[in-house]
Amino acid sequence: MNITQNPELVDRLAASYALGTLRGGARRRFETLAREHATVRAAALVWQTRWSGLTELQPAIDPAPAVWTRIDNLVQADKAAAAMQAARVPPAAAAPGGWWRNLLVWRGAAAAGAIATLAAVVVGVQVNGGLRATTGAQIATLQQQLQATPQIQYVAVLADDKADASMLVTFDPKNNQLVLQRVGGFQEGADKSLQLWALPPGQGPRSLGVLGHDKLLKLVAQEGDVKEVPTLAISLEPKGGVPSETGPTGPVLFKGELIQRML
Amino acid sequence: MSSPQPDRELMDLLDRIAAQDDSALKRLYERTSSPLFGLALRIVRNRDVAEDVLQEAFLSIWRGAGNYRASLSPPMAWMGLIVRSRALDALRKRSSDRADLMNELDDELAQTLEGDSPNPMDTADASEQSFALHHCLGKLDHKQREVVSLAYLRDQSHGELAEQLKLPLGTVKTWIRRGLEQLRSCMAHYA
Repeated sequence: MNITQNPELVDRLAASYALGTLRGGARRRFETLAREHATVRAAALVWQTRWSGLTELQPAIDPAPAVWTRIDNLVQADKAAAAMQAARVPPAAAAPGGWWRNLLVWRGAAAAGAIATLAAVVVGVQVNGGLRATTGAQIATLQQQLQATPQIQYVAVLADDKADASMLVTFDPKNNQLVLQRVGGFQEGADKSLQLWALPPGQGPRSLGVLGHDKLLKLVAQEGDVKEVPTLAISLEPKGGVPSETGPTGPVLFKGELIQRML
Repeated sequence: MSSPQPDRELMDLLDRIAAQDDSALKRLYERTSSPLFGLALRIVRNRDVAEDVLQEAFLSIWRGAGNYRASLSPPMAWMGLIVRSRALDALRKRSSDRADLMNELDDELAQTLEGDSPNPMDTADASEQSFALHHCLGKLDHKQREVVSLAYLRDQSHGELAEQLKLPLGTVKTWIRRGLEQLRSCMAHYA
């Protein structure tokens, strides 16, 4: 049985998986399916995001004042330790030609429920049927290809919380457009749209456009839309997307760092 | 009753905390420690343990505030998940003492399950992003709502919930199954 052809069942399983009531063998089987199918992973992520709202409304009960005192002491100790560390270690010099080495492969706090992975990426990658390699291997492969295509300035790999690449994004300054290429097999339902967001620092998310259902997509964009933007994200919205001012209303399925390669 | 926490203010505080501004952490604590403590208490049901959990959570927030923006979560949900993680860590560490924790009188819960009156839920305080969840939760029978919430908050299986609430396993399974089905069909109208 190809479970991805039964979205109702996937949704039911994903809801109980994310809630925590799917246990034992059933849970393991679901996790196997999730590893193999991007749609199943996305469903689990949708429900994880939804359930996290349960933590929001709880009766307010005042903790004892001593709790803040302890937190404050630990924070001050943290700051002092950081200051001493900074004084001891000289700043790292940029390695020649190895700018990608400074990239952190970052797994966001599991507590946040959505794990983001940074990856260095290059356009022009020939991706067949989705990359199965680990993040480290992906970076290495793509970094080699980066050196072969010096025209590209802004690139990003958007990945889901299992670090599987789902969308390659580049900015084409000559034609003022963002070019996106789907990889990894995720396809949204007919009643949904994927929407691309820029996350500029210190501000709310800004929509860069709603994606069609094709494999290769183009969105009109100016360099100003992507300059100084550290992160891009893709959310699952009702068909046609939502206004930029609203921000994403649906769960964020994929995200990644936007890299500006120095030419 | 907690006053509404404007998301924008909390997000700005988290940005400042990411820049190592400890006065912003204090402000965030003043604004949010009470509902977060309430959450911790609901999960671990022991005041001392809940205080440790709150302390660990705020330390995690201090160190991890730089990760907040990219999560695109409402601030209270992001912090709530951190509290839940630390609370579950505490429960696991104390699993040998779990019997003691389970003997704590869960008065409020017993009353909820025995009574007929639904939980009053002030959904005005919920973030926009979790509006759908809270709207749909509000439509559930209060018993279903309670066991579904506990299953998530305490990361408990059907069996564990049945044992703790002193209910038949079949009853817990039915309430959760029906609650989930109703939630799923209600949530299907939202993204």
